[in-house]
Parts: sequence; structure tokens; C-alpha cells
Amino acid sequence: MFRRRRSADDFAEEIKSHFELEADELQSEGLSEEEAHRRARVEFGGAQAAQERFYLRNRIAWLDNLLHDIKFAIRQLIRTPSFTCVAIVTLALGIAANSTVFSWINSTLLDPIPGIAHTSDMITIMRGERSEHPTPPFSYMDFADLRDSTRTLAGLLAYHDDYMAITESGEPERIYGALASSNYFEVLGVRPILGRSLASTAPNERLGTAEVVLGYGLWQNHFGADPSIIGKTVHINLHPYTIVGVAPQGFQGCKSGIRSDLWIPLGMDPQVSGSERIKYRDALWLNVLGKLRPGVDHRRAENELNILMQRLAERFPDAHRGPNTISSDPLWRSPFGVNVYLSGTLPILLALALVLLLLACANLANLLLVRSVARRREFAIRLSIGASRWRLVLQLMVENALIAVAGAALALLFTRWTAHGLSAFLPPTTLPLTLDGRIDQTVLVAAIMISLLTASVSGVLPALRASRLALAPGSALKDEALNNSGGIHKSRLAGGLVVGQIALSMLLLVCAGLLGRSLQRAQESNPGFDPNHVFLAGFDLKPEGYSRAQGIEFDKQMLARLKSLPGVQSVTLGDFSPLSYTIHTDFIQPEGYVPGKNESMEVDRGVVGPEYLRTVRTALLAGREFTGRDNLGAPPVSIINQALADRYWPGQDPIGKRLQVARQWTTVVGVAANGKYRRLVYNTAPLVLIPMLQSYRTDQIVYVRVAGDPMAYASAVERTVHGLNSDLPLFNETTLAASMRMGNLFERIAAAFAGSFGLLALILAAIGVYGVVAYATRQRTHEIGIRMALGAGKRDIFRQVLGRGLHFAGLGLVLGLLISFALTRYLRGMLYGVGTADWLTFVIVAILLCVATLIACFIPARRAASINPIQALRTE
Amino acid sequence: MPPQDTDRIALLQGTLDLLILKTLVLGSCHGQGIARSIQRQSEEVFFVDHGSLYLALQRLEDKKWISAKWDVSENNRKARYYSLTAKGRRQLLEKTSEWQRLTRAMGLILDGPPRSEEV
Repeated sequence: MFRRRRSADDFAEEIKSHFELEADELQSEGLSEEEAHRRARVEFGGAQAAQERFYLRNRIAWLDNLLHDIKFAIRQLIRTPSFTCVAIVTLALGIAANSTVFSWINSTLLDPIPGIAHTSDMITIMRGERSEHPTPPFSYMDFADLRDSTRTLAGLLAYHDDYMAITESGEPERIYGALASSNYFEVLGVRPILGRSLASTAPNERLGTAEVVLGYGLWQNHFGADPSIIGKTVHINLHPYTIVGVAPQGFQGCKSGIRSDLWIPLGMDPQVSGSERIKYRDALWLNVLGKLRPGVDHRRAENELNILMQRLAERFPDAHRGPNTISSDPLWRSPFGVNVYLSGTLPILLALALVLLLLACANLANLLLVRSVARRREFAIRLSIGASRWRLVLQLMVENALIAVAGAALALLFTRWTAHGLSAFLPPTTLPLTLDGRIDQTVLVAAIMISLLTASVSGVLPALRASRLALAPGSALKDEALNNSGGIHKSRLAGGLVVGQIALSMLLLVCAGLLGRSLQRAQESNPGFDPNHVFLAGFDLKPEGYSRAQGIEFDKQMLARLKSLPGVQSVTLGDFSPLSYTIHTDFIQPEGYVPGKNESMEVDRGVVGPEYLRTVRTALLAGREFTGRDNLGAPPVSIINQALADRYWPGQDPIGKRLQVARQWTTVVGVAANGKYRRLVYNTAPLVLIPMLQSYRTDQIVYVRVAGDPMAYASAVERTVHGLNSDLPLFNETTLAASMRMGNLFERIAAAFAGSFGLLALILAAIGVYGVVAYATRQRTHEIGIRMALGAGKRDIFRQVLGRGLHFAGLGLVLGLLISFALTRYLRGMLYGVGTADWLTFVIVAILLCVATLIACFIPARRAASINPIQALRTE
Repeated sequence: MPPQDTDRIALLQGTLDLLILKTLVLGSCHGQGIARSIQRQSEEVFFVDHGSLYLALQRLEDKKWISAKWDVSENNRKARYYSLTAKGRRQLLEKTSEWQRLTRAMGLILDGPPRSEEV
């Protein structure tokens, strides 16, 4: 239409020519020239108006049409509020599920380390087998050698994070800090907002410079966002540091989902940890990140690092007995941090959310189909008075787009609330986790795009169909065709959509059921200890400035005093608590066992006080518990679990065997029953326990087994501890049962979301069935009237309508069963103790869907049965 | 004298197109000529709103049912002359038969119930 646009001037010219021709003619009929011109103008009736209309038509016709379509669409939607509401809410639910999961993916997997410059150029490096809880891969000396000799990386940084305390005045403040290599901020491309980075500490990297870069949050909260903070002093673990910089907001360190509060040079490690590990080539404590040189992919970098590592292993064979293969990963699947757990869970959740969206799509398509059949007469009239089919489809698509926009807006409102849902699953924990979704531009755009796409996909078929139905205006305008047999109950499309909906909701419900049962199995599984009636509290003696002897004395006195409290049954200490991601690992060497080449000898290791096994009620299978006499003066001892004995000393009596733990030879004095220490869904792993009196730790958790409610003892425990040291803060006061909920965090997230998706799916399917059956029944009022007039009873009609619903349900269940069998195997990795073809789950889901379908059909069936045949026939 | 205004009938929507096409069958013509011709041929019953006429001409031109070019009239005035395209000719036939069906149906209804032999 706009191919060769005629100019308005040309049009004005034509009208001028009209006046002249008309005046000529009038003159020739005998009028005076003046009169002829006047008459010509009068006859034309507003040349100005005609020109204006021409202008509008040519220039902004499409905009005008669109505005008109939008206005018309709004009127149409307002005229049917119930349709509009159901459509918008359906769409909003489907989109909200997706935008919620996407907001998490966006702020975790897609943005694994917030605040850095080149996420896609960064790689994370791991040594040995891929694991969900890898040890730091490098010693300081290996790191320094690799950093200096690599050609594929533009930079290699190292860090080690741990708890520290700010000790200035009064109670120490526990923080999570990182020891960082001098190139840390430069490699990440993070520029401090105040002061400078740690780059100038490079010449003294190994010996350390007492400087600190504060995290933005710490600067805000602890230092009141003091703008002149640079150059001031802060005490960390009783040692003074000069503040040289403040990191930008949003940057929180190199581990996904874990927040560091400050950064100090690597060389300060002896000061902070009391360990000399920076001197040793076989002490693995550094995590590293590399930045690829332009044009180098991570495979090449991996190859080069492996060659360099091989050379190091040949030069220093004693320090490289374990696995020396290096593998690199993009940041999003970095095994260090929370992403390693989320990278399995979130994509599955997104897949489930997409199925839910598909279901919402089917529901919307069905609603639109019903609506378009009801509007056939309107379409037919519009076509017969000159609207093109294209125009009609466009009009319907405009209506869909409006629904989409409203749905997206509502979905984003939901998401604002659900985006923070992830953190709601976190039990109180010592870990500085920052697990949260947020709505940013990406999420916003994604939600709107999904919404428009959904509305178009579900709208285009009904719209085309409506315009085709109405294309034969003759038939569409006839009442016959509209009211009787031409209704939707003959539409295969609508029936197919309902069957599809039931099938998809079956899939979602089966997934929800499997994940729920798996969670239940995990909960019911024996963790190897009794989590009830145990009070836990953390404390850290490091910032108190105790010597080793003083610290041990403090621990002994605290245990003695707590044990004498009324109601306390037993007390112990540990440097971890089970199933809360706090257990550490160490390298072992069992007597008489020859490790394979590059076999990892790393196992879970706990440092515990006397009576540990008794306090957590883990069965002692052989030998004895640690006692107060297992101290520095006594020979070093250890307790192992059954799994460790089975792996390294199969068929032998482990009691009395010698076991090297962390470079010290110990004698095994006890064998404990297996337990779960990391996640409930893991297989039991080897564990070694060593006594706290022989391996002093400052950062500990006190376990108090009591009679009754553990939390009721909180104030008594606090009073007792403060009786020994009034400044010592106790943190994370909780119960063992509550803290171990961390151990099935990801199972709970998956089960809760799959469960709510399943529930939504059930509701959507029920609405879908109700909509189609109710509409079909209404369309058949006449037919039902005839049937009744011919002698059909109310019960026959009732049964017929219900039968129709069950017919849908049956087909949907068969289809759903097939889909579920085909797809649930992708869940296998997330299931514990349940097969993917768990018949109980399938049966329960099938019954649930049948019941939901029957309920959805019940109302239309009752309405149909109560039809008065005389009235039904008359209204036709 | 032309008839009184009250005797004139405003053209039904859609019929103007048909009348324009019909007028152009006889040969190319400019807007003013078409208006005059319609008024004259309908024995001055139809009143052609000139604004609508030119928009209708533009619409038909957009649809490629008619084509236009500037020319000089017999009395030496510049005028835009319209002529039927092949597509326009086909449309004319189609619309004419449609219109005849419509008027017949209208006639049947307005003239009273159909006679028995027509059922």
C-alpha cells in the first residue's frame, strides 16, 4: 500500500483541478464566473477536510489501524472479564515459574562471579578427578611456577578463603576473608573504588605485607562507609593491617555464591592461620583462576598447564604423589563454590518450568479457541463488510499481545517475591552464602520475550482457525452452524489440547512425585548419628590470642563445665558438624597399602573432642573412643569408619594399624559405624577422626547432648562459656537436626519447586478440562434437551458428560505415561533411593489426575443434568 | 433544476467503488467528470460527496483496480485521468453480480413473502 506514496501536493493539485473543471462546466451551464466558483466550492464540501483525510490515510494509516486495534482489543477483553483474568493468570503462572528459575540461573550460573570484567575469558582450574568438593589444587610454590611459565594465560591468580576476625575493640567480629595473590584484582579486572589493589605487594608476595582491601559490604557496615578510610589500620586476628583499598559494590570474591569480606596478601597466611604451609610444595591450599590470552581456548590452556605440571612432578616427585592431571572449566561450572551443586539442579528446574509453560500455552490456546468459536459471528460480519483475513488475524494477535503483556507484568510481580525464594531454603549456617535470585534487565527482557512468544504460539492457531471458519460468511452467519453441531465439541484441536495438558501435567506430577519420594527416602535414611537433642554453637579462639596450651586448657575447662550443667548428657567438640558442608579433608597413608599411580589419598577428616561418638550417637564397632588422655603427651591416635577400613584394609583388623594423617603417623584405636558427613544422597565415604587434644584447632563447634529441647539450653551454654571468657562470641547457635538440613538443601529446593510446579500443572489441567467440557456442554444444550425429551434420564446425561471428561483423562494418562517413562530418566542423577519408574508414584499421580478431571467435569455435568428439556428446546 | 436535497440518497458504503468502476468502463475520466457522471446517470438521486470520491479513487488506485496519470482536458485544463486496469475489470464483473444478488434478495424481502413456486 505504501509502495509508491502519492504526495499531498499532488492530491491538492488534483482537487484544484476539480474546482476549475467544475467551474468551467457550471459556467457553460450559464452561471457567472464568480457564482460558478462559489458553487464548485460548496459542492465539494470541504476541500480542506478531504486533504486532511488523504494525509492521514497515507501517512499514519498503519499506526492509526494499530491504535484502533489496540483500543478495540481492550474493549473486547474488558467485555469478557472472566476469560481475560483466567488467560492472564494462566500465562502469568507459566511465565513466573520460568522467570523465577531464570532469575536464579541468571544470578548464579550466568553470573558465577559477579563484578568481574571478562567472565567468558576466565577459567577455573582443578587437579585430579572432578568432584563436588575438590581440594584446593596447588601449593604456593607450584602456583608461582605455573604463573611465571604459562604462555596461554594472560594471568593466573591464587586465593585461599577462610574465617577471620576483626579484633579492634570489644567482641571480635567474625568475617570470611581471602588471602589473595598480588595480581588478584588485576587478573579479575576489578578496580577498587577507593585506594589501590594489592599489586604493589608483588615483590614481597611470599613474606607478606600487612595490607588489606576491604569488601564493599564490610566498608559500608563495619566502617560506616568512611570515605577517608585509606591508610587507617584494622586488626585482623589481632594483627594490624593498613587499609589500602575498597572493592567495588557487587564484587564478593572468586567462589560462586560465597562472599568474601576482605582480601589480604597470601604471604600473611602464617599470621592468619598459624600455618607455615606457604613454604611447602606438597601443601595444597590455593585455588586458582586463569585468564585466557586472546584467541586461546581453554583446552589449549589445559594442555599447556598439564605439560608444565608434569615437569614440576618430575622435578619434585616427592611433593607430587597424588593426582597431577589438571582440568579446566568455564566459571559457570566451577567446582569451587555453590554453582557445582546448582549446575545440576537449576537446569532440571528450568526444564520443568518450561513444561509448565507449555501447559499454560495449551490452556491459553484452548481458551482462545473456545472464545474464537463464540466470536465466529463477529468475525463473519467483519469479513463480509470488507476486513481482510490478515486484518482479522492481526486483530486477534493484538488481543493476544495485550494478554501477554499483562501476563508478563503479573509474572514479574510474582517473581519479585519468588526470586528470593532460594535463600529461604538455607538453614542457619556458618557459611557466608549469598544464594539469591534478582530481577535485572536480562530477566525482564527474557520474561517479556517468553510471554510474547507464548501468546503468539498459543494464539496463532486459534486465530487462523477463527478466520478460516469465518471465511465462509454464508455458513458462519447462519444460526444453525453456530449453535448446534458446529461447536467446539467436534473440534479435534480442543480435545487434543486437553489430552496434551493432562499428559504434560502427568509428567510434571511424576517428576514432583519422584523428587518428593527421593527427598523422603533421603530424610528417612540413616545418617549414622542421632541428630535429635543436640545443641550446637560455634566459637573461634584465634582472635582471643591464646597460646596453644591456653587454648587446649580453655577447651578442657569448657567441656567439664558444660558437662556438669543439669540436663546435659554429654559434651564434645568438633571442627565440623555433619551434613552442613563444614567437614574438611586430608591426605592419608594407611600402613601396608600401596596407592596406585596418581591415586588420590584424600578422605574426609574431622578433628573431635573426647566422647564425640557417644555425643552424636554413632555406633563404635570396635576399639575405643577418644578420651581426655589422648593428648600431646600420649602417642597419636585416630578413629576410622568402616568404609575406610573396608577400602584400605579389607578383611583385616584395623585396630592397632598405623595410619598417616596430615603427615603424622597415628595408631587406629577405634572403628566407627559409617555415617553421612556431606550430603544425605552421597554414598558413605571413608572418614578419619583425630583427637582435638593432639591436633589443636581454634575454630570449633561445641556439641551438647541434652534431655529435651536443645534450644532451651542456649542461655545456659552461653553463660557457662562467658564464665570462662566474657568476650568470646558464640555464633550459629542451633541444633544438630536444624544444621543438617543443609545436607539436603538442593534436594529440598528441587522437590519443593517440582512439587509446586506439579500442583500448578494439576490446577491448569483441571481448568483446561473444565473449560472444554463446560463449553461443549453449553453448546449442546439443544441436543441434551432433545435427548431428555426422548427419554434420557438425568443420570444418563450426567454420566455422559463425566464419561467425556474421563475419556480425555484416559487418553492423557496413557500419553503422559509414555512421556514420563521416556523423560524421567534424565532425573536419575537427582534421585536417591527411588527408581525412575517408581510404580507407586505413577499410580498415585494417575489417581490424582483422574480425581482432578472428575471434579473439573462435575460442575458442567450437574448443569447438563439439570437442563429443563422444554426450556432448552424453546430457547433454540 | 436538480431535485431537492431531501430526495438525494447518500451513497451506501462500498457502492461508491462499484459506481466508479462502472463509470470508467466507458473510458478514462477525471474525478470531477466521474462525480458528474454518477450524479447524472442516477438521475440526480445520488449525491456524491467529493471528499469521499477522491479517497475512494485513491483506495482503488492503491488496490491497482484503476490507474491514474496527469493529462490535459478538452478545455485545456490539467486533470488527473483515471482508467480501469484488467484487475479492475474483473472486480467490476464480480461486484456487479454480487450487487445484483443482493438487490434481488432485498427485493424479494421488501416485495413481500415469496410466491409458492419459488420455494
